[in-house]
Amino acid sequence: MSKRERRFVCAIAATLLYMAPSRAADVHVVKSGADEIPMDISGIAISGEKFATVFLETLRNDLVRSGWFRIVAGSGSAIVAVGRCNEISDRLSVKCRLTNTGSGKTYFNVSYNEPAHEARFVAHKLADKIVESVKSVRGIAATRIAMVGMRDGQRDLYVCSADGHGIIRITKDGVPCLSPKWGFGGDVLLYTSFANGFPDMYEIDMRTNMRRSISARPGINMGGDMSFDGRMVALILSKDGNPELYVMQRTNGRLTRLTRTQHAAEAEPSWSPDGKSIVFVSDSAGSPQLYIVKSNGGRPERPTFRGSENVSPDWGLDGRIAYSSRRGGRYHICVLDPLSGEQTQITRDDADYESPSWAPDSRHIVCSRTCSYHSELYILDTMRHTSVKLFSLEGECHSPSWSP
Amino acid sequence: MANRNMWSRVLILALCVASAGFGCSGKTREIGSLQGADRMEPSDVPLGERFELTGRRVENIHLPHVLFRYDSFQVDSGEIRKIEEVAAYMRNNPDVRIITEGHCDERGSRAYNISLGENRAQAVRANLVKMGINSMRIQTRSYGEERPISSGHNEAAWRRNRRVEFAVYR
Repeated sequence: MSKRERRFVCAIAATLLYMAPSRAADVHVVKSGADEIPMDISGIAISGEKFATVFLETLRNDLVRSGWFRIVAGSGSAIVAVGRCNEISDRLSVKCRLTNTGSGKTYFNVSYNEPAHEARFVAHKLADKIVESVKSVRGIAATRIAMVGMRDGQRDLYVCSADGHGIIRITKDGVPCLSPKWGFGGDVLLYTSFANGFPDMYEIDMRTNMRRSISARPGINMGGDMSFDGRMVALILSKDGNPELYVMQRTNGRLTRLTRTQHAAEAEPSWSPDGKSIVFVSDSAGSPQLYIVKSNGGRPERPTFRGSENVSPDWGLDGRIAYSSRRGGRYHICVLDPLSGEQTQITRDDADYESPSWAPDSRHIVCSRTCSYHSELYILDTMRHTSVKLFSLEGECHSPSWSP
Repeated sequence: MANRNMWSRVLILALCVASAGFGCSGKTREIGSLQGADRMEPSDVPLGERFELTGRRVENIHLPHVLFRYDSFQVDSGEIRKIEEVAAYMRNNPDVRIITEGHCDERGSRAYNISLGENRAQAVRANLVKMGINSMRIQTRSYGEERPISSGHNEAAWRRNRRVEFAVYR
């Protein structure tokens, strides 16, 4: 069996596993409200050759990927979108009215006029507006995903839109790069690169594509995670001995040290949405485990004792922490509510799932899935416990980060 | 009985004062570090500023790789001999500087493995310092699992990859 075939079999096996009737045992974890709302978009008329069709296809995919809707035509729909999309001399003109067939309520009337080649972008904007109007949650169609990609043995940062389209390479260093993370509303990307020979931390301004070094201290400068207000960066430094957790003021670089563990390594910090706490990994108990510490200092607390290893925490906007937990010899994505202590295992098939990153809808997670030593990015729906492959880069793909 | 209690308290107090006194003296810390094989901690020799790598990398020198157990940065007694060999090389070549480069096998999170590799690099550095090498001559660099020397996916390959290499600069 060729490598490609094996990969394909893996993907099919995963799909079958999710579709198998035995999955019914997990029905209790499907949250109420996870039912898809039947929606009819056949009332959006299109005219024009290329981009109008792209617009409608993208809108349909976005609505399905959001997890909140099922696309139907005609009777049985609860939500109806009517309007038109005209492509006239390099411009795309879109009008749309969204109504609830039960209550007769009109959610909105909206119109867009954008360059035709922005058809995908216009569709993402409309899809997010629909999700936000009907479900009062953030849409994710217009968000982006950053990752480390390996092509021809070269590792670099890549960014694509949340549906996997429009992938672009951000760096061209040809050296190991690690742990990209969005910050400050998606305007910047933090990551660690060996561009200067050592693992230093950089910040890329995504509006100007300018890169600046923000920490180049002796030893490692790793795991940079920006607080939601953009004022602080949590990071791992080893300048004072072994790797420890610090908080750095972004404007002046001033450091506060948060851990003192002589016999352990710290890694992978992630801020709580209110900026008051940080979850991180430490092997002070003998294996890498999660700990939570107040961002102004104090004694770290261990939030879970399940899993032989618990790594790569990502603290989501709704307060829940996604992480990768080693259980039964495999890494699986789990979600932990630090307030109630309740934890849910999201993935269960025979593959390793690592590096979870929450979407801003607090429902979807992007992570890497490794099967037969080949990694690809998957998007998990934590309400339905289903997964879809984001795409296949030629070569490896890992360490994804979902933009705000 | 009360008397014996008092004397034991005085004894404890005296020991505390003595050890506090020793704590201030660098020399005494050295004695403390000799009491056990791995008593020298990386935090005893924090990294100095990075030396400028203006020097040339010495390519044709083959220093041994120090190997580690899974998820561990403790230098096993069997590996100490290799570090002694490097210490001797550095004593005989007072103009060379070294970067201890920490590596991990492919298992575990990539970011955590950078921290683990750094701990391995620092543990080897601390041992070199304990053997009398000036700490300013040794820097660390962790590659985590990013640069394996063996591409297999089995214990034999993993064992070779869990290592500290010595990069020599003149």
